[in-house]
Amino acid sequence: MTVASIGANRPVVGRNRRSGDHLQVVARRISRQGDGKDMARGDDDNTRFADVVLPHLGDAFALARWITGNRADAEDVVQDACLRAFRAIDGFAHGNARAWVLTIVRNTAYTWLGKNRPTVVVAVDDLEAAETAQAIPGDPNAETPETALIAQTESARLEAAIARLPNPFRETLILRDVQGLDYREIAQVTGVPIGTVMSRLARGRGRLIAELGRKD
Amino acid sequence: MSRSTIPEDSRLLVHAYLDGELDPANALAVEQRMAADPALAAEGERVAALQQLLRERLPREAAPPGLRARIEASVGMRRARPQPSWRALAASVVLAAALASGSTWLALAPEQGDAVRDGVIAAHIRSLMAPQRVDIASSDQHTVKPWFNGRIAQAPRVVDLANADFPLVGGRLDVIGRTPVPTLVYRHRQHFITLTAVPAAGRANSAPEAGTADGYNLLHWTADGVLYWAISDVAAADLEKFAGLFRTGQPEP
Repeated sequence: MTVASIGANRPVVGRNRRSGDHLQVVARRISRQGDGKDMARGDDDNTRFADVVLPHLGDAFALARWITGNRADAEDVVQDACLRAFRAIDGFAHGNARAWVLTIVRNTAYTWLGKNRPTVVVAVDDLEAAETAQAIPGDPNAETPETALIAQTESARLEAAIARLPNPFRETLILRDVQGLDYREIAQVTGVPIGTVMSRLARGRGRLIAELGRKD
Repeated sequence: MSRSTIPEDSRLLVHAYLDGELDPANALAVEQRMAADPALAAEGERVAALQQLLRERLPREAAPPGLRARIEASVGMRRARPQPSWRALAASVVLAAALASGSTWLALAPEQGDAVRDGVIAAHIRSLMAPQRVDIASSDQHTVKPWFNGRIAQAPRVVDLANADFPLVGGRLDVIGRTPVPTLVYRHRQHFITLTAVPAAGRANSAPEAGTADGYNLLHWTADGVLYWAISDVAAADLEKFAGLFRTGQPEP
Protein backbone atom coordinates (compact mmCIF):
# COMPACT_ATOMS: atom_id res chain seq x y z
CA MET A 1 0.00 0.00 0.00
CA THR A 2 1.33 3.40 -0.86
CA VAL A 3 0.27 6.89 -0.07
CA ALA A 4 -0.76 7.20 -3.70
CA SER A 5 -3.87 5.15 -2.96
CA ILE A 6 -5.18 7.85 -0.69
CA GLY A 7 -8.17 9.73 -1.92
CA ALA A 8 -9.07 6.95 -4.32
CA ASN A 9 -12.45 6.51 -2.71
CA ARG A 10 -13.40 10.16 -2.62
CA PRO A 11 -15.75 11.83 -5.03
CA VAL A 12 -13.84 14.12 -7.32
CA VAL A 13 -14.53 17.49 -5.84
CA GLY A 14 -15.76 20.13 -8.18
CA ARG A 15 -16.14 17.90 -11.18
CA ASN A 16 -19.91 17.73 -11.04
CA ARG A 17 -21.44 20.67 -12.72
CA ARG A 18 -24.51 21.70 -10.91
CA SER A 19 -27.42 20.89 -13.08
CA GLY A 20 -28.85 24.37 -12.85
CA ASP A 21 -30.74 26.50 -10.46
CA HIS A 22 -33.63 26.78 -12.86
CA LEU A 23 -35.56 29.54 -11.23
CA GLN A 24 -32.59 31.82 -10.89
CA VAL A 25 -31.31 31.16 -14.37
CA VAL A 26 -34.64 31.85 -16.00
CA ALA A 27 -35.30 34.89 -13.85
CA ARG A 28 -31.88 36.31 -14.64
CA ARG A 29 -32.20 35.71 -18.35
CA ILE A 30 -35.50 37.51 -18.44
CA SER A 31 -34.39 40.40 -16.29
CA ARG A 32 -31.53 40.91 -18.74
CA GLN A 33 -33.96 41.45 -21.55
CA GLY A 34 -35.76 44.09 -19.56
CA ASP A 35 -32.92 46.05 -17.98
CA GLY A 36 -29.81 47.61 -19.44
CA LYS A 37 -27.10 45.07 -20.14
CA ASP A 38 -24.53 46.47 -17.70
CA MET A 39 -27.04 46.56 -14.93
CA ALA A 40 -27.92 42.93 -15.47
CA ARG A 41 -24.27 41.91 -15.45
CA GLY A 42 -23.61 43.79 -12.22
CA ASP A 43 -26.55 42.09 -10.55
CA ASP A 44 -25.36 38.79 -11.89
CA ASP A 45 -21.95 39.23 -10.25
CA ASN A 46 -23.58 40.30 -7.01
CA THR A 47 -25.79 37.25 -7.01
CA ARG A 48 -22.84 34.99 -7.76
CA PHE A 49 -20.78 36.66 -5.05
CA ALA A 50 -23.61 36.22 -2.56
CA ASP A 51 -24.00 32.54 -3.52
CA VAL A 52 -20.34 31.59 -3.78
CA VAL A 53 -18.39 33.75 -1.33
CA LEU A 54 -20.63 35.01 1.46
CA PRO A 55 -21.64 31.59 2.83
CA HIS A 56 -17.98 30.92 3.61
CA LEU A 57 -17.20 34.18 5.37
CA GLY A 58 -16.93 32.48 8.76
CA ASP A 59 -14.37 29.96 7.55
CA ALA A 60 -12.56 32.70 5.65
CA PHE A 61 -12.24 34.82 8.75
CA ALA A 62 -11.15 31.89 10.93
CA LEU A 63 -8.41 30.90 8.46
CA ALA A 64 -7.19 34.50 8.13
CA ARG A 65 -7.20 34.84 11.89
CA TRP A 66 -5.04 31.74 12.31
CA ILE A 67 -2.60 32.80 9.59
CA THR A 68 -2.22 36.42 10.70
CA GLY A 69 -2.52 35.77 14.43
CA ASN A 70 -5.03 38.49 15.27
CA ARG A 71 -8.55 39.59 14.50
CA ALA A 72 -7.82 43.06 13.20
CA ASP A 73 -5.31 41.84 10.60
CA ALA A 74 -7.68 39.00 9.72
CA GLU A 75 -10.44 41.48 8.99
CA ASP A 76 -8.20 43.45 6.62
CA VAL A 77 -7.19 40.23 4.89
CA VAL A 78 -10.77 39.00 4.48
CA GLN A 79 -11.88 42.34 3.06
CA ASP A 80 -8.99 42.31 0.57
CA ALA A 81 -9.68 38.69 -0.31
CA CYS A 82 -13.39 39.35 -0.89
CA LEU A 83 -12.59 42.16 -3.29
CA ARG A 84 -10.27 39.83 -5.18
CA ALA A 85 -12.92 37.13 -5.19
CA PHE A 86 -15.52 39.58 -6.45
CA ARG A 87 -13.32 40.65 -9.34
CA ALA A 88 -12.57 37.02 -10.19
CA ILE A 89 -16.10 35.72 -9.72
CA ASP A 90 -16.64 35.34 -13.47
CA GLY A 91 -13.76 32.87 -13.59
CA PHE A 92 -15.21 30.63 -10.91
CA ALA A 93 -16.81 27.74 -12.75
CA HIS A 94 -19.16 25.82 -10.46
CA GLY A 95 -16.45 24.02 -8.54
CA ASN A 96 -15.77 23.78 -4.85
CA ALA A 97 -16.77 27.23 -3.65
CA ARG A 98 -15.37 26.89 -0.15
CA ALA A 99 -11.96 25.68 -1.34
CA TRP A 100 -11.92 28.45 -3.95
CA VAL A 101 -12.68 31.12 -1.36
CA LEU A 102 -10.19 29.74 1.15
CA THR A 103 -7.50 29.61 -1.55
CA ILE A 104 -7.97 33.30 -2.23
CA VAL A 105 -8.03 34.11 1.49
CA ARG A 106 -4.84 32.17 2.10
CA ASN A 107 -2.95 33.75 -0.78
CA THR A 108 -4.18 37.20 0.17
CA ALA A 109 -3.09 36.60 3.77
CA TYR A 110 0.49 35.81 2.77
CA THR A 111 0.68 38.75 0.38
CA TRP A 112 -0.72 40.97 3.10
CA LEU A 113 1.72 39.65 5.70
CA GLY A 114 4.66 40.06 3.33
CA LYS A 115 3.71 43.68 2.84
CA ASN A 116 2.66 44.62 6.36
CA ARG A 117 4.31 42.12 8.72
CA PRO A 118 7.43 40.99 6.87
CA THR A 119 8.97 39.30 9.93
CA VAL A 120 6.17 36.77 10.27
CA VAL A 121 6.67 34.94 6.99
CA VAL A 122 9.11 32.04 7.16
CA ALA A 123 10.65 30.30 4.17
CA VAL A 124 8.89 26.96 3.91
CA ASP A 125 11.67 24.96 2.27
CA ASP A 126 14.20 25.58 5.03
CA LEU A 127 11.64 24.77 7.61
CA GLU A 128 10.72 21.40 6.15
CA ALA A 129 14.36 20.44 5.71
CA ALA A 130 15.01 21.24 9.36
CA GLU A 131 11.91 19.40 10.48
CA THR A 132 12.75 16.23 8.58
CA ALA A 133 16.14 16.04 10.23
CA GLN A 134 14.67 16.48 13.68
CA ALA A 135 13.09 13.41 15.24
CA ILE A 136 10.37 14.07 17.76
CA PRO A 137 11.02 12.17 20.97
CA GLY A 138 8.20 10.37 22.67
CA ASP A 139 8.13 8.05 25.63
CA PRO A 140 5.23 5.59 25.79
CA ASN A 141 6.55 4.28 29.12
CA ALA A 142 6.25 7.58 30.95
CA GLU A 143 4.17 7.44 34.11
CA THR A 144 1.28 9.55 32.87
CA PRO A 145 0.32 8.48 29.37
CA GLU A 146 0.67 11.25 26.83
CA THR A 147 -2.91 10.81 25.72
CA ALA A 148 -4.13 11.66 29.22
CA LEU A 149 -1.97 14.77 29.35
CA ILE A 150 -3.19 15.82 25.91
CA ALA A 151 -6.80 15.37 26.98
CA GLN A 152 -6.27 17.66 29.99
CA THR A 153 -4.94 20.57 27.97
CA GLU A 154 -6.60 23.91 28.70
CA SER A 155 -8.02 25.99 25.85
CA ALA A 156 -5.55 28.82 26.24
CA ARG A 157 -2.55 26.51 26.20
CA LEU A 158 -3.88 24.70 23.15
CA GLU A 159 -4.43 27.95 21.33
CA ALA A 160 -0.95 29.20 22.18
CA ALA A 161 0.64 25.93 21.04
CA ILE A 162 -1.15 26.14 17.68
CA ALA A 163 -0.16 29.79 17.32
CA ARG A 164 3.49 28.78 17.76
CA LEU A 165 3.37 26.29 14.89
CA PRO A 166 5.10 27.47 11.73
CA ASN A 167 2.55 28.70 9.21
CA PRO A 168 2.69 25.76 6.74
CA PHE A 169 1.94 23.29 9.54
CA ARG A 170 -0.59 25.52 11.24
CA GLU A 171 -2.66 26.24 8.15
CA THR A 172 -2.74 22.56 7.20
CA LEU A 173 -3.81 21.54 10.70
CA ILE A 174 -6.49 24.24 10.88
CA LEU A 175 -7.88 23.36 7.45
CA ARG A 176 -8.14 19.68 8.41
CA ASP A 177 -8.82 19.46 12.13
CA VAL A 178 -10.79 22.67 12.62
CA GLN A 179 -12.40 23.40 9.28
CA GLY A 180 -12.84 19.77 8.23
CA LEU A 181 -11.47 19.93 4.67
CA ASP A 182 -10.27 16.67 3.18
CA TYR A 183 -6.73 16.15 1.91
CA ARG A 184 -7.60 16.92 -1.67
CA GLU A 185 -9.24 20.21 -0.78
CA ILE A 186 -6.30 21.18 1.43
CA ALA A 187 -3.93 20.42 -1.45
CA GLN A 188 -6.00 22.75 -3.62
CA VAL A 189 -6.10 25.55 -1.05
CA THR A 190 -2.43 25.42 -0.12
CA GLY A 191 -1.20 24.66 -3.65
CA VAL A 192 0.93 21.64 -2.75
CA PRO A 193 0.67 17.92 -3.59
CA ILE A 194 -1.38 15.64 -1.33
CA GLY A 195 1.82 13.98 -0.10
CA THR A 196 3.04 17.34 1.20
CA VAL A 197 -0.31 17.96 2.86
CA MET A 198 0.03 14.63 4.65
CA SER A 199 3.55 15.20 5.87
CA ARG A 200 2.76 18.76 7.02
CA LEU A 201 -0.31 17.55 8.85
CA ALA A 202 1.66 14.77 10.56
CA ARG A 203 4.42 17.18 11.53
CA GLY A 204 2.04 19.83 12.81
CA ARG A 205 0.20 17.25 14.88
CA GLY A 206 3.48 15.73 16.02
CA ARG A 207 4.68 19.08 17.34
CA LEU A 208 1.45 19.70 19.22
CA ILE A 209 1.47 16.19 20.66
CA ALA A 210 5.09 16.58 21.76
CA GLU A 211 4.33 19.87 23.46
CA LEU A 212 0.95 19.08 25.00
CA GLY A 213 1.86 15.54 26.00
CA ARG A 214 4.77 16.76 28.13
CA LYS A 215 4.52 17.44 31.82
CA ASP A 216 5.70 20.84 32.93
CA MET B 1 10.97 3.22 21.98
CA SER B 2 10.55 6.58 20.37
CA ARG B 3 8.09 7.86 17.85
CA SER B 4 10.86 8.30 15.35
CA THR B 5 11.09 4.52 14.99
CA ILE B 6 7.80 4.52 13.08
CA PRO B 7 8.54 4.61 9.36
CA GLU B 8 7.28 7.84 7.86
CA ASP B 9 4.96 6.06 5.41
CA SER B 10 3.24 4.09 8.19
CA ARG B 11 2.80 7.19 10.30
CA LEU B 12 1.14 9.06 7.45
CA LEU B 13 -1.18 6.12 6.82
CA VAL B 14 -2.29 6.10 10.46
CA HIS B 15 -3.12 9.81 10.17
CA ALA B 16 -4.91 9.24 6.86
CA TYR B 17 -6.87 6.39 8.46
CA LEU B 18 -8.04 8.64 11.30
CA ASP B 19 -8.93 11.34 8.77
CA GLY B 20 -11.19 8.93 6.88
CA GLU B 21 -9.09 9.25 3.75
CA LEU B 22 -8.54 5.53 3.09
CA ASP B 23 -10.76 3.26 1.07
CA PRO B 24 -12.18 0.28 3.01
CA ALA B 25 -9.47 -2.18 1.95
CA ASN B 26 -6.62 0.12 2.95
CA ALA B 27 -8.39 1.13 6.14
CA LEU B 28 -8.64 -2.52 7.11
CA ALA B 29 -4.96 -3.03 6.35
CA VAL B 30 -4.02 -0.10 8.60
CA GLU B 31 -6.26 -1.40 11.38
CA GLN B 32 -4.47 -4.72 11.19
CA ARG B 33 -1.07 -3.07 11.29
CA MET B 34 -2.07 -0.97 14.28
CA ALA B 35 -3.31 -4.08 16.07
CA ALA B 36 0.03 -5.78 15.47
CA ASP B 37 2.33 -2.85 16.21
CA PRO B 38 2.05 -1.05 19.59
CA ALA B 39 4.05 1.93 18.32
CA LEU B 40 1.55 2.48 15.52
CA ALA B 41 -1.38 1.98 17.89
CA ALA B 42 0.11 4.55 20.28
CA GLU B 43 0.50 7.05 17.45
CA GLY B 44 -3.14 6.50 16.55
CA GLU B 45 -4.22 7.13 20.13
CA ARG B 46 -2.20 10.32 20.40
CA VAL B 47 -3.60 11.69 17.15
CA ALA B 48 -7.16 10.76 18.10
CA ALA B 49 -6.70 12.45 21.50
CA LEU B 50 -5.41 15.58 19.79
CA GLN B 51 -8.30 15.63 17.32
CA GLN B 52 -10.80 15.30 20.13
CA LEU B 53 -9.08 18.09 22.04
CA LEU B 54 -9.22 20.38 19.00
CA ARG B 55 -12.91 19.63 18.52
CA GLU B 56 -13.92 20.14 22.10
CA ARG B 57 -11.66 22.77 23.53
CA LEU B 58 -10.45 25.07 20.80
CA PRO B 59 -12.52 28.25 20.99
CA ARG B 60 -14.36 29.09 17.77
CA GLU B 61 -14.02 32.64 16.69
CA ALA B 62 -16.87 34.09 14.72
CA ALA B 63 -16.33 36.85 12.18
CA PRO B 64 -16.86 40.34 13.61
CA PRO B 65 -20.52 41.37 13.36
CA GLY B 66 -20.04 44.27 10.93
CA LEU B 67 -17.67 42.48 8.57
CA ARG B 68 -20.28 41.13 6.22
CA ALA B 69 -21.95 44.51 5.80
CA ARG B 70 -18.60 46.19 5.12
CA ILE B 71 -17.76 43.60 2.49
CA GLU B 72 -21.14 43.94 0.83
CA ALA B 73 -20.63 47.70 0.72
CA SER B 74 -17.12 47.38 -0.69
CA VAL B 75 -18.33 45.32 -3.64
CA GLY B 76 -21.30 47.60 -4.21
CA MET B 77 -24.04 45.30 -2.95
CA ARG B 78 -25.39 47.67 -0.36
CA ARG B 79 -27.18 49.96 -2.73
CA ALA B 80 -30.88 49.36 -3.00
CA ARG B 81 -31.34 46.18 -4.96
CA PRO B 82 -33.62 46.65 -7.94
CA GLN B 83 -37.05 45.15 -7.58
CA PRO B 84 -37.47 42.07 -9.70
CA SER B 85 -39.31 42.92 -12.87
CA TRP B 86 -42.82 41.56 -13.39
CA ARG B 87 -41.43 39.39 -16.19
CA ALA B 88 -39.00 37.68 -13.85
CA LEU B 89 -41.73 37.17 -11.30
CA ALA B 90 -44.05 35.80 -13.94
CA ALA B 91 -41.36 33.42 -15.13
CA SER B 92 -40.81 32.17 -11.59
CA VAL B 93 -44.47 31.56 -11.11
CA VAL B 94 -44.79 29.71 -14.41
CA LEU B 95 -41.77 27.57 -13.63
CA ALA B 96 -42.85 26.84 -10.09
CA ALA B 97 -46.27 25.87 -11.38
CA ALA B 98 -44.68 23.63 -13.98
CA LEU B 99 -42.53 21.94 -11.37
CA ALA B 100 -45.40 21.53 -9.00
CA SER B 101 -48.08 20.43 -11.43
CA GLY B 102 -49.75 17.62 -9.57
CA SER B 103 -49.21 17.76 -5.85
CA THR B 104 -47.66 14.32 -5.77
CA TRP B 105 -44.91 15.07 -8.24
CA LEU B 106 -42.27 14.43 -5.65
CA ALA B 107 -43.54 10.94 -5.04
CA LEU B 108 -44.42 10.01 -8.58
CA ALA B 109 -41.55 11.35 -10.54
CA PRO B 110 -38.15 10.41 -9.20
CA GLU B 111 -36.60 11.87 -12.35
CA GLN B 112 -37.56 15.23 -10.91
CA GLY B 113 -34.77 14.50 -8.43
CA ASP B 114 -32.71 17.33 -9.81
CA ALA B 115 -35.32 19.89 -8.83
CA VAL B 116 -35.44 18.46 -5.31
CA ARG B 117 -31.66 18.44 -5.18
CA ASP B 118 -31.46 22.06 -6.29
CA GLY B 119 -34.13 23.01 -3.79
CA VAL B 120 -32.20 21.31 -1.01
CA ILE B 121 -28.96 23.04 -1.99
CA ALA B 122 -30.66 26.43 -2.22
CA ALA B 123 -32.30 25.97 1.19
CA HIS B 124 -28.98 24.95 2.74
CA ILE B 125 -27.14 27.97 1.33
CA ARG B 126 -29.94 30.29 2.37
CA SER B 127 -29.85 28.90 5.90
CA LEU B 128 -26.10 29.49 6.15
CA MET B 129 -26.66 33.15 5.38
CA ALA B 130 -29.80 33.63 7.45
CA PRO B 131 -29.52 35.03 10.96
CA GLN B 132 -31.44 31.98 12.14
CA ARG B 133 -30.74 28.57 10.69
CA VAL B 134 -33.67 26.83 12.26
CA ASP B 135 -37.25 27.63 13.17
CA ILE B 136 -37.08 25.53 16.30
CA ALA B 137 -33.70 25.55 17.98
CA SER B 138 -33.15 22.66 20.31
CA SER B 139 -30.69 19.84 20.79
CA ASP B 140 -33.48 17.77 22.27
CA GLN B 141 -35.16 15.43 19.82
CA HIS B 142 -38.22 15.38 22.07
CA THR B 143 -38.63 19.11 21.49
CA VAL B 144 -37.87 19.14 17.79
CA LYS B 145 -40.08 16.30 16.63
CA PRO B 146 -43.32 17.51 18.24
CA TRP B 147 -42.74 20.97 16.77
CA PHE B 148 -43.36 19.49 13.32
CA ASN B 149 -46.64 17.92 14.39
CA GLY B 150 -49.49 20.10 13.27
CA ARG B 151 -47.31 21.92 10.77
CA ILE B 152 -46.91 19.07 8.34
CA ALA B 153 -48.66 15.75 7.81
CA GLN B 154 -45.86 13.61 9.12
CA ALA B 155 -43.13 14.59 11.56
CA PRO B 156 -39.71 13.39 10.43
CA ARG B 157 -37.63 10.72 12.04
CA VAL B 158 -35.28 12.41 14.54
CA VAL B 159 -32.22 10.57 15.83
CA ASP B 160 -29.98 11.72 18.68
CA LEU B 161 -26.38 11.59 17.43
CA ALA B 162 -24.81 13.92 19.97
CA ASN B 163 -22.58 11.15 21.31
CA ALA B 164 -21.08 10.68 17.86
CA ASP B 165 -20.22 14.39 17.63
CA PHE B 166 -23.24 15.23 15.51
CA PRO B 167 -25.40 17.22 17.95
CA LEU B 168 -28.84 18.27 16.82
CA VAL B 169 -29.20 22.02 16.29
CA GLY B 170 -32.90 22.13 15.51
CA GLY B 171 -35.45 21.90 12.75
CA ARG B 172 -37.22 24.03 10.19
CA LEU B 173 -39.65 23.78 7.31
CA ASP B 174 -38.29 24.22 3.81
CA VAL B 175 -40.51 24.58 0.79
CA ILE B 176 -39.41 22.54 -2.20
CA GLY B 177 -41.51 23.08 -5.27
CA ARG B 178 -44.73 23.83 -3.41
CA THR B 179 -44.37 21.15 -0.79
CA PRO B 180 -43.37 22.05 2.77
CA VAL B 181 -40.81 19.49 3.90
CA PRO B 182 -39.22 18.95 7.30
CA THR B 183 -35.53 19.72 7.60
CA LEU B 184 -33.27 18.84 10.50
CA VAL B 185 -30.02 20.63 11.16
CA TYR B 186 -27.14 18.85 12.82
CA ARG B 187 -23.72 20.20 13.66
CA HIS B 188 -20.30 18.62 13.24
CA ARG B 189 -17.46 20.66 14.69
CA GLN B 190 -18.51 24.13 13.59
CA HIS B 191 -20.14 22.94 10.38
CA PHE B 192 -23.78 22.36 9.74
CA ILE B 193 -25.41 19.38 8.14
CA THR B 194 -28.83 19.94 6.63
CA LEU B 195 -30.99 16.83 6.40
CA THR B 196 -34.21 17.22 4.46
CA ALA B 197 -36.84 14.50 4.54
CA VAL B 198 -38.96 14.60 1.36
CA PRO B 199 -42.10 12.47 1.39
CA ALA B 200 -41.77 9.94 -1.44
CA ALA B 201 -44.39 7.27 -0.90
CA GLY B 202 -43.91 4.35 -3.22
CA ARG B 203 -40.27 5.03 -3.88
CA ALA B 204 -38.11 1.97 -3.40
CA ASN B 205 -35.52 2.01 -0.65
CA SER B 206 -32.08 2.94 -1.90
CA ALA B 207 -28.60 3.10 -0.43
CA PRO B 208 -26.86 6.47 0.00
CA GLU B 209 -25.53 7.96 -3.20
CA ALA B 210 -22.89 10.66 -3.00
CA GLY B 211 -22.41 13.75 -5.09
CA THR B 212 -21.02 17.24 -4.91
CA ALA B 213 -22.38 20.61 -5.91
CA ASP B 214 -20.88 24.04 -5.46
CA GLY B 215 -18.38 22.72 -2.98
CA TYR B 216 -20.93 20.98 -0.82
CA ASN B 217 -21.02 17.28 -0.31
CA LEU B 218 -24.38 15.67 -0.87
CA LEU B 219 -25.86 12.29 -0.04
CA HIS B 220 -29.31 11.02 -0.77
CA TRP B 221 -31.07 7.82 0.04
CA THR B 222 -34.60 6.51 0.37
CA ALA B 223 -35.95 4.69 3.39
CA ASP B 224 -39.55 3.80 4.22
CA GLY B 225 -41.13 6.12 1.69
CA VAL B 226 -38.96 9.11 2.61
CA LEU B 227 -36.30 10.55 0.33
CA TYR B 228 -33.50 11.95 2.50
CA TRP B 229 -31.08 14.59 1.25
CA ALA B 230 -28.07 15.43 3.39
CA ILE B 231 -25.91 18.39 2.43
CA SER B 232 -22.94 19.94 4.17
CA ASP B 233 -19.44 21.27 3.74
CA VAL B 234 -18.02 18.66 6.10
CA ALA B 235 -15.69 16.18 4.37
CA ALA B 236 -17.40 13.49 2.31
CA ALA B 237 -16.26 10.81 4.75
CA ASP B 238 -17.82 12.67 7.70
CA LEU B 239 -21.09 13.07 5.82
CA GLU B 240 -21.12 9.37 5.01
CA LYS B 241 -20.50 8.61 8.66
CA PHE B 242 -23.38 10.88 9.60
CA ALA B 243 -25.73 9.21 7.11
CA GLY B 244 -24.69 5.77 8.33
CA LEU B 245 -25.37 6.72 11.95
CA PHE B 246 -28.68 8.36 11.11
CA ARG B 247 -29.88 5.37 9.12
CA THR B 248 -28.98 2.82 11.76
CA GLY B 249 -29.69 5.02 14.77
CA GLN B 250 -32.69 4.51 16.97
CA PRO B 251 -35.28 7.26 16.82
CA GLU B 252 -36.93 8.18 20.09
CA PRO B 253 -39.81 6.01 21.14
